[in-house]
Amino acid sequence: MTTANVYQQRPDSGVKAESSLHHTNLASLTGKGRKNAGVIVREKKLLGHLTLRGDAKDPAFAEGVHKALGLELPVALSLVAKGDTSLQWMGPDEWLLIVPGGQEYAVEQALRAALVGLHISVVNVSGGQQLLELSGPNVRNVLMKSTSYDVHPDNFPVGKAIGTVFAKSQLVIRHTGEDTWELLIRRSFSDYWWLWLQDAAAEYGLSVEA
Amino acid sequence: MSQTHRLPNGGRVDRNKVLTFTFNGQQYKGYEGDSLAAALLANGVDIIGRSFKYSRPRGIYAAGAEEPNAVLQIGATEATQIPNVRATQQALYQGLVATSTNGWPNVNTDMMGILGKVGGKLMPPGFYYKTFMYPKSFWMTYEKYIRKAAGLGRSPTQNDPDTYDNMNHHCDVLIVGAGPAGLAAALAAARSGARVIVADEQEEFGGSLLDSRESLDGKPAMEWVAKAIAELKGLPDVKLLPRATVNGYHDHNFLTIHERLTDHLGDRAPIGQVRQRLHRVRAKRVVLATGACERPLVYGNNDVPGNMLAGAVSTYVRRYGVAPGKKLLLSTNNDHAYRVALDWLDAGQNVVAVADARSNPRGALVEEARAKGIRILTGSAVIEARGTKRVTGARVAAIDLKTHSVTSPGEWLECDLVATSGGYSPVVHLASHLGGKPTWREDILGFVPGEAPQKRVCVGGINGVYGLGDSLADGFEGGVRAASEAGFKAVEGVLPKALNQLQEATVALFHVPHEKGTARAPKQFVDLQNDVTAAAIELATREGFESVEHVKRYTALGFGTDQGKLGNVNGLAIAARSLNVTIPQMGTTMFRPNYTPVTFGAIAGRHCGHIFEPVRYTALQAWHVKQGAEFEDVGQWKRPWYFPRNGEDLHAAVKRECQAVRDSVGILDASTLGKIDIQGPDAREFLNRIYTNAWTKLDVGKARYGLMCKEDGMVFDDGVTACLADNHFVMTTTTGGAARVLQWLEIYQQTEWPELKVYFTSVTDHYATLTLSGPNSRKLLSEVTDIDLDREAFPFMTWKEGLVAGVPARVFRISFTGELSYEVNIQADYAMGVLEKIVEAGKKYNLTPYGTETMHVLRAEKGFIIVGQDTDGSMTPDDLNMGWCVGRTKPFSWLGWRGMNREDCVRDQRKQLVGLKPVNPTQWLPEGAQLVFDPKQTIPMTMVGHVTSSYAHNSLGYSFAMGVVKGGLKRIGERVFSPQADGSVIEAEIVSSVFFDPKGDRQNI
Repeated sequence: MTTANVYQQRPDSGVKAESSLHHTNLASLTGKGRKNAGVIVREKKLLGHLTLRGDAKDPAFAEGVHKALGLELPVALSLVAKGDTSLQWMGPDEWLLIVPGGQEYAVEQALRAALVGLHISVVNVSGGQQLLELSGPNVRNVLMKSTSYDVHPDNFPVGKAIGTVFAKSQLVIRHTGEDTWELLIRRSFSDYWWLWLQDAAAEYGLSVEA
Repeated sequence: MSQTHRLPNGGRVDRNKVLTFTFNGQQYKGYEGDSLAAALLANGVDIIGRSFKYSRPRGIYAAGAEEPNAVLQIGATEATQIPNVRATQQALYQGLVATSTNGWPNVNTDMMGILGKVGGKLMPPGFYYKTFMYPKSFWMTYEKYIRKAAGLGRSPTQNDPDTYDNMNHHCDVLIVGAGPAGLAAALAAARSGARVIVADEQEEFGGSLLDSRESLDGKPAMEWVAKAIAELKGLPDVKLLPRATVNGYHDHNFLTIHERLTDHLGDRAPIGQVRQRLHRVRAKRVVLATGACERPLVYGNNDVPGNMLAGAVSTYVRRYGVAPGKKLLLSTNNDHAYRVALDWLDAGQNVVAVADARSNPRGALVEEARAKGIRILTGSAVIEARGTKRVTGARVAAIDLKTHSVTSPGEWLECDLVATSGGYSPVVHLASHLGGKPTWREDILGFVPGEAPQKRVCVGGINGVYGLGDSLADGFEGGVRAASEAGFKAVEGVLPKALNQLQEATVALFHVPHEKGTARAPKQFVDLQNDVTAAAIELATREGFESVEHVKRYTALGFGTDQGKLGNVNGLAIAARSLNVTIPQMGTTMFRPNYTPVTFGAIAGRHCGHIFEPVRYTALQAWHVKQGAEFEDVGQWKRPWYFPRNGEDLHAAVKRECQAVRDSVGILDASTLGKIDIQGPDAREFLNRIYTNAWTKLDVGKARYGLMCKEDGMVFDDGVTACLADNHFVMTTTTGGAARVLQWLEIYQQTEWPELKVYFTSVTDHYATLTLSGPNSRKLLSEVTDIDLDREAFPFMTWKEGLVAGVPARVFRISFTGELSYEVNIQADYAMGVLEKIVEAGKKYNLTPYGTETMHVLRAEKGFIIVGQDTDGSMTPDDLNMGWCVGRTKPFSWLGWRGMNREDCVRDQRKQLVGLKPVNPTQWLPEGAQLVFDPKQTIPMTMVGHVTSSYAHNSLGYSFAMGVVKGGLKRIGERVFSPQADGSVIEAEIVSSVFFDPKGDRQNI
């Protein structure tokens, strides 16, 4: 009896892959923005995204996650990372695991093996979302134009991650470095976010990094 | 000669930077640093507009936000028009174009002048109610006339070219006002390390110190201001916002600030810059340092140009180097106003006299004026001014305050400027926005903020603390308090020393008596902007209006953009005296946001144009665009509506697309359908409870259609759910229902059935879904997949996993068209590649892309419902003839079961979904059209149902529809009629809602 249907969703290499901002051709804009731009945007695309659900209060769950990932479960509103792998608290029983693209199938299997017998859910959502990294001295201003959440480092230190209102929709904001932030954007909203960010960053200068 | 009234030196203007501007078509020159009002006065422009009701000439009266007359239209082009700009608040820039909003067509020779005299009679207080009530139908006509005559300005008819935005802030202390008290508060709060925002509406910080004679630590006060600003700027968590008006104080210490970033630079914002920004601030503590506003005295002809607030005269002289006249007559009831006479004298101008209502004033400034030889007439006041387009003189007479009467014939003094000061009104607007009633303080003759639940501190002038030294101390203490209440430890600070001058009390005088009595005296204006006179207020009280709110509405006192800044207290005082009550008994009216007008642009921010609303796209959008698709909005999604070829219209394209699907194969982007991954040992039980039908026996590998009802038994979503593994399902929802359904599942799991072990995760965006539909879909798909598509191996309502175009896929054999159909789900990143390969392979099958319209037609031919189109939240499964989808024997009482068994839900003659076939096969029944059994009955007819879906262009070859009809399922074969707006009647036969392939042979081959 299999409890869940898990399969390799990524094709062999060589098959065309398009991120949700493929149509904007960001690569062609690389290096073309204003020098010393106040905001630098970088697409972190085609990564493996897994939504993990489970009982945070069950020590067996935390142990299993640690065994599979080598990461402790992050506490509320925070993010832990090791190398290119990050684990973010999304809710009392929900976490987002981001791994290098292509590893998500193996990682899901490892998680399921380590958590066998527990009531959990692991769902591959890699095709549905991606990260946009924003860096530079004016990122905070752009965030302040976009969200009513307090993004001052007193309230939003590095390592914090929250889901919130952003312009007229919602997304997840992750503070990953002093002047570096990540937005977790849903595929279908990507075009809106890209238009919004270009607009909000216009007065500070926006440049694209590969 | 230009700038006739510019003083040879002085002021904070840059005389090396000459700016040209236009007012009412005439060119003038001013200096950088001028306000528009200062520049107009420098050029000797007396008349700035005509008054609202009486069309009297009006000039600049004040120097700040309280200006009632110089409310102008600004803008050099049609696209940059801004109404309601106070000339006193608008910085001068090169090329500024301003026009009067009153005085149509010309302020100097006003056609309304004649009308105005008539209009004056036409418009007594309460004119809105008295004159324009009857005939009612004329109101629209009157309104146009009044609006134009009232000079409310106009909005541009072209798109604003500038950028406006919003910004959110959180701070520990927000300080409103950067005068002495505000700056002292800011220093105290900022030094504690708190996050501080200081906002001030003026062009530069300093408040009253910008034109003060006083010194701090023996140096000009502005030197201290510069030092304070420099210190604040050096602190990392301090934000200074000049040109930023705090306009609204809302619940939970949320305040809005309207910042004008480039309005001082030009008609348009420099390229790349934001013109105005609305700051949305959430502050732990607010320090209100809004100061006080001088109050004019009310006397005859006090509106003729050349009458001016006393303090404004000092502002123009000291801050702008402009003398708004030659011969000054000052009428006052307080000491502070004497500085105006001294400033005027210092500027080398002629002070005719000071009329002081007090009998024996001996304050320091009074004595200084006396020592300088200024003539002081005590126990007196300016009774009336003379002049039409400019003051030429004024009469000063002795008055008795107790009996409110004139006790001497007085003396006419020749002058061209009457400065008036009736004391000071604390600016309590913001403090009152949330309803805290201001309280009257007899010692300062003004309202101060009353008790309020907000977390705020009031400092300085708003508290009635007027002396400079006291104000600084009050501000500093308030800053310390605010910071410590916000959790910071304040540090000690030293305040600059101000000279303490002896000041005598102000005497209570608001409305200056006239020997003719109020009704017959020359007009004594209380509210210049709304043209409300003392006589009008007395009339209102005589007519029985006793509540201050009623007096306000009857007379228009303090209406609109004015918000009673100058006239409020005087109006109350007049009403109080007339009713023989005290001012505190009279009370004040409500103050409401906004304090001064805010542009729509700043409110809207960037939520306009191409980013007005989020638009959602599927992974295949670029392909749809390349195919020339027309799009339809489905919620926030853009979905291909149809794919016109060679100039086809909607009907032609849909007919072709339908035929292609029925004859060969079509392809649809179904990615927008909601998809929810469901995992957990109780997933199946959960489905049993949330859906109307049974899920216990659905094997792994199989899929089933399900209906979802709310507790009331009414259908609210539907879709196919497949069993992926024993504890694993994937549910599809309608496109519009995706978020709603996920939330619904979570609510029920978390609140009602937390014992069920099941998790839900949206995979809507993760998967792209390509639907291949039509008799050739199997052949086509077999060319690009390794999945065995044989009908035995892969039967209807099952799913398989395999490669499609080299990409791992889950393929579902389900059908919304009634044809053989496969839904291919792949990770969205790879959808475009898969689509391209399918399209390439599909060429020989005439693979035809189809959109939502064809999808709707094809499903309707099969009688498949669309939730939200054929349902409206009042239909049970039985109403939809979908009783087959109700699990009547399920053991657990699932959602909707009780509701749909209520008496009303099981009665006869409910509206039921049926097919409708127009008797004339070319006639199209409009969707939403009402149905009747008897078209010959009298109006209003008894309506028995309506059309829900209707399609004239389809694969059937005749027009058909779906609709609900009372007891319709028992009326198959009968006729219904749809009377149309044009008088025609469409007759239709009630038929089964399944028009095409009723046995389902085509989808199940």
